[in-house]
Amino acid sequence: MAKEKSKEKEKHVDFRDQISANKTRSVFLLIFVFVVFIALGYVIALAFTLDVFAILIIATLFSIFYVWITYAFCDKIALSSVGAKEADKTRHRALYDAVENMAIASQLPMPRVYIMPGNQINAFATGKDPKSSVICVTEACLQKLNKQELEGVIGHEMSHIANYDIRFVTIVAVVVGAISIFSQMFLRGMFYRSSSDDRGSGNLIFFLVALVLAIIAPIIVKLVQLAISRKREYMADAGSVEFTRYPPGLINALKKIKHEHEPMKVPDAVAPMFFSDTTKQRILEMFQTHPSIEKRIKALEAM
Amino acid sequence: MGLLLALLIPLIIIGILAVAILLIWISYYNRFVVLSNRIKNSFSQIDVQLKKRADLVPNLVETVKGYAKHEAKIMKEVSDARKSLVTANASGKMDARIKAGDALQGALGRLFAVAENYPTLKANENFLNLQTELSSIEDKIAYARQAYNDSIMSFDNAVMTFPGNIFAGKFKEQAGQYIKIPEAERAPVKVSF
Repeated sequence: MAKEKSKEKEKHVDFRDQISANKTRSVFLLIFVFVVFIALGYVIALAFTLDVFAILIIATLFSIFYVWITYAFCDKIALSSVGAKEADKTRHRALYDAVENMAIASQLPMPRVYIMPGNQINAFATGKDPKSSVICVTEACLQKLNKQELEGVIGHEMSHIANYDIRFVTIVAVVVGAISIFSQMFLRGMFYRSSSDDRGSGNLIFFLVALVLAIIAPIIVKLVQLAISRKREYMADAGSVEFTRYPPGLINALKKIKHEHEPMKVPDAVAPMFFSDTTKQRILEMFQTHPSIEKRIKALEAM
Repeated sequence: MGLLLALLIPLIIIGILAVAILLIWISYYNRFVVLSNRIKNSFSQIDVQLKKRADLVPNLVETVKGYAKHEAKIMKEVSDARKSLVTANASGKMDARIKAGDALQGALGRLFAVAENYPTLKANENFLNLQTELSSIEDKIAYARQAYNDSIMSFDNAVMTFPGNIFAGKFKEQAGQYIKIPEAERAPVKVSF
């Protein structure tokens, strides 16, 4: 009895708590990025015996500029990176109906609706807040899913929008991109310089530290990104059922995804935004953007 | 000096506490306002759909008339149900509007059942469009009702549970006054589209 009650509690994580948690996490993540950037810049400057001050300023300016630009254009970048086109209201009536139904159920503004090419049943939501949100589904969603299943999938995306997951995932994607660009720059710079330079032994230690940092930083950030992304998928599944009040819809959609063998190629940065894993199941769950479909179905069937 | 400090410290503590309580009160107050606005907003969502449906009915009746002249009884039923919905809307009473909306939905259901007997009507493009439009509106009404009930529930929960109930004040009177609407049946499952 007591156990059942605690389970119930877990399921009903208040949306509001999740929203404020996401907002604080977003801020912390941004601070974390700036610290990483500056630390990387500092160590790199020492390794190459460059002017530390100048490098720090460049690193900070670069990161502010990069984060600002990508954040401002996140939805356009995400949509164009998968080749999405705006859906037609009359031609894609069923899709519009599903999105409108879920917008009504979730009491959120109607998102813009896009369709991307692809034989895999998949979808994602993006935008900075519910007012500027976008939902994008693959063509396969329209061909392979019935009304209830489509509503389940859209409800899942709507729940990401309601929870401000879209903003958070966007920031994470931006950050992951930035750090990998930065360490790439460093690693390339290193090979370029290593032949001509004669370094002191003090520099060598910093050089090694910089090398290790440059290799490890993107991996750590990536793992953080993946872990966060998996957790929120369960939340969004629960949110979808809250909107549709019909778990079988989402369960059947997941089952259909399980039985199809259509991997999809999307850029790494946007993969965590998707409804289900875009690539084939990886061996370790740690490297997956989504929990396994079996686990998601099980969690839904327990509701 | 020591005495001054001994006086000052409790004052500062009291001041900080007062400011903290004020801030908490403000945040609760705003939250209650947002939640009660959400109830109004979600009801207007139902309203929008009910009106849309009422607007489609004359068109539907005209279309059906052309094919099924003998079904005067059901046509009158639908037209009457629409009329009473319009009057109910004008009266502004919530439960009357919902009831009239349900009556219209029932009459439309019977009309579509009768239409099954007229193959030429069923093939009419205008009729088919109206049928899809009306069934999609039916879905939206069902979801809007659900959202309305949900918004009532979150308002009541916020006002009645601890610690919100301490700050609820005038909102307490509002809680529990909103009447939930019976959940509507969604349109029957279509295999695919």
